Amino acid sequence: MENTALAPHLILAGLLFALGLAGVLVRRNLLVVYMCLELMLAAATLALVAFSRFNRTMDGAVLVFFVITVAAAEVAVGLALIVALYRRRGTVSSERLDVLRP
Amino acid sequence: MPDGLFIFFAALTLGAASLLVLSRNAVTSAMGMILALVGVAADFFLLDAYFLGVLQVLVYAGAVMVLFLFIIMLLDTEDPARAYPWKKAAGGLAVFFLLAAGVLWLFHWSGAVPGTAAGATPPELTDNPAEFATAAKAFGRLLYTKYLLPLEIAGLLLLTALVGVVSLSKEAPAGQA
Amino acid sequence: MSSDLSSLVHWILFLPLGAAALQALLLRRQGAIASWLSVGAAFIGAGLALRILLTSEADVRWHAEIARLGDISLGVGYLVDAHARLMLFVVTFVGALIHLFSVGYMADDDARGRFFAGLSVFMFSILGIVVADNLLMTFVFWELVGFSSYMLIAHYFDRDYAAAASRKAFVVNRVGDLGFILGLAFCLSRFGTLQFEELRALSPAGGWPFALGALLACGFIGKSAQFPLHVWLTDAMAGPTPVSALIHAATMVVAGVYFMARIFFLIDPSLLQIVAVSGAGMAALGGLCALAQTDIKKSLAYSTLAHLGIMACALGLGRPELALLHMAMHAFFKATLFLGAGSVIHGCHHEQDMLRMGGLLRRMPVTAAAFIAASLSNCAVPFLAGWYSKDAIIEAAFRSGRAAEAALLSVAAVATCLYSARMIRLVFLGAPASEEASHAHESPWTMSLPLIVLGLGYSLFGGLLAAAMIPASSLASVAEPLRAMAFHATAPATLVGLAALALGAFALKFYAVEPGRDALRDRLPGLYAALERRWMDGLYRWYVDSVQRRVAELIAFLDLLLVNGLAVRWVAAGVPALLGFLAGRVFHGGQTRAYAAWTAAGVIFIAWILITR
Repeated sequence: MENTALAPHLILAGLLFALGLAGVLVRRNLLVVYMCLELMLAAATLALVAFSRFNRTMDGAVLVFFVITVAAAEVAVGLALIVALYRRRGTVSSERLDVLRP
Repeated sequence: MPDGLFIFFAALTLGAASLLVLSRNAVTSAMGMILALVGVAADFFLLDAYFLGVLQVLVYAGAVMVLFLFIIMLLDTEDPARAYPWKKAAGGLAVFFLLAAGVLWLFHWSGAVPGTAAGATPPELTDNPAEFATAAKAFGRLLYTKYLLPLEIAGLLLLTALVGVVSLSKEAPAGQA
Repeated sequence: MSSDLSSLVHWILFLPLGAAALQALLLRRQGAIASWLSVGAAFIGAGLALRILLTSEADVRWHAEIARLGDISLGVGYLVDAHARLMLFVVTFVGALIHLFSVGYMADDDARGRFFAGLSVFMFSILGIVVADNLLMTFVFWELVGFSSYMLIAHYFDRDYAAAASRKAFVVNRVGDLGFILGLAFCLSRFGTLQFEELRALSPAGGWPFALGALLACGFIGKSAQFPLHVWLTDAMAGPTPVSALIHAATMVVAGVYFMARIFFLIDPSLLQIVAVSGAGMAALGGLCALAQTDIKKSLAYSTLAHLGIMACALGLGRPELALLHMAMHAFFKATLFLGAGSVIHGCHHEQDMLRMGGLLRRMPVTAAAFIAASLSNCAVPFLAGWYSKDAIIEAAFRSGRAAEAALLSVAAVATCLYSARMIRLVFLGAPASEEASHAHESPWTMSLPLIVLGLGYSLFGGLLAAAMIPASSLASVAEPLRAMAFHATAPATLVGLAALALGAFALKFYAVEPGRDALRDRLPGLYAALERRWMDGLYRWYVDSVQRRVAELIAFLDLLLVNGLAVRWVAAGVPALLGFLAGRVFHGGQTRAYAAWTAAGVIFIAWILITR
């Protein structure tokens, strides 16, 4: 296996992460915010795989495996929370969920 | 220099992600998300991580996003009365460009990350029990040797999530809702 | 052998603690069971101590390290040498008899459980001091003794004077203990160890520092009620009489003497000079002040002060073995005197004023016999217990050519005979001076038995046991003044002693006036008032009121101005305002998005630090 350039993949991962973060900050719909979070996670896994490939060791890739597992569990719980929230307050807009305001 | 396939999939991924972030319709956002995840999976393939690519498509694009779509359709999240928040969107764009500039500087010009310079070679690992391999078998062996404890914990985590979701989704008692 | 004995020491030490724990946890309401539990523990301890005294020739050693801080090892351990064996026996034996006495004396008390738990805690503490093999353990038990003494003085805590007396004892002891703990720190920083044996082996070049001995002696001055910290002892008589007997006569106050004998090797000779003079002075003054007290227990307390002065003087003369011998003798006869006083007080329905007693010889014969026997011993009638030690110390003072100390001690010997004669005359002879005295009755067996054993048995024949109790190593140095007294009728101490006894006999006649009158007060009111007045208390009051309060007020003003005003108020007002602004307006806006933004900013900030590092 020949070497693979590392930088382009890292840049792609970074840009995806930046997009995800901007989405988290901008969007009001909690579901979309949640998807943006997942996008950030995917960006991080991309960086991990790139490093793993570049350094020729499986550890990073195995970590990605676990990230996917945890993300799946997290999505299930998070979506259940959002549904419960919607049932109680009738909205999933982050702007209206401001009961923590002092 | 990155090859054509990488440029194509990178563009696809970024475009789909932009769609996810910018679209006012949640369903469109979800579609963008699916496309972006497929793009990431394609990049995994380009990085010879075939098993992870397949996993990404199966778990994320297949299971997770279907779940998202279900929920989006279940809850009526449309809020057409409100105007598009241009001010906040501008702030988000600023954050994005700032971060993007940082990323480009970090990985393309600064050379702070080892291995990002042109023609860099990976470090020679003297003791590397987990040589990079493409076969799913390599994952299996590692998961049941070096990463056995994390695997067990991940299983426990999934079980906990299962129980948690069941308890969260149960109809709240009449008095509490 | 040694390990066997160290397990005996374990038992002696922890039996009272176990008894106290049981009483505190389970038996607070069952006074009768609690009292006999304490008595049992005390008697078993006395038996074990006797066994150690009789069988052990070698020192008992045991040590366990608790913590190691760098090169400094802190631990607990036993070092039961000849002195400690003697002290162990005295403490447990006298203690056990006083426990038995308390059963009768405290029979009507509602809080017997608390009282006996306190006695047991005290036994545990004082025994800890006796067996401790290092300064730190000594200090810990020293403080425990102070605590249990405080608790027992304040037994009648619903009376104002008892509460005040316990507070006074505690505070005055703290003054001395401050010096003690400073000495501890000094010793640790200079020599790196607190073990008695390691210190003894050190013998630093240029002698031991004067400051170390002086600081450690502060603890002795406080606990043994030496001048100028003697003021608490007479007030401590507010506690129940058995407590006065056990703590403030027989054991606790002499623990200071014992401690000084233990660290005798590191005390600077010039400090010993001071101790000798101040001890002898206090012996004379204490004896004279006892003449001007009407309260029987306070009179005895001044007598205790005098004897503590004598012991201190013996230490100062460089004769710690004589001091310890006197400590043992004094413990026995002074405990008898206090128990006799307690029996009298009990018999007279809690009357403590000697001028309202009289004629008790016929009504309380056992008590009277024990009290008089102990008094004679106190007066150092030849071949009674006190004679072996007290006159030996006086003789030692004469022999070492210390004229001032010898003269003061002679005054003390005379004073002893005078106040003993006065007490016997006022309490037991003559006609009853009050209704209570005429209806007095003999005490129950639990009270008379200790009186018989301690008073008649020990005070009279104690001298025979003295030889057995003196450590073999120091037998020669003790025997030398004794031999001089016994075989040369012209030894100075013998002459002084006989003169004092003659004066005592005269005093018996001098005080034979009508009941309820004090002859000295009637004839020389000025002298009486001068002796009765508590000069040091007045001095302390002046110091606290006029000096310390002024300084405290100044400091309080500065505190108000600088610390409270500038530092505290400004910071107290400024910091919450800033934090409140940040928290309320910036961080804690209630907007989920804001939280996310701050989190992201934090993450990016950390990432930036990691990258540019």
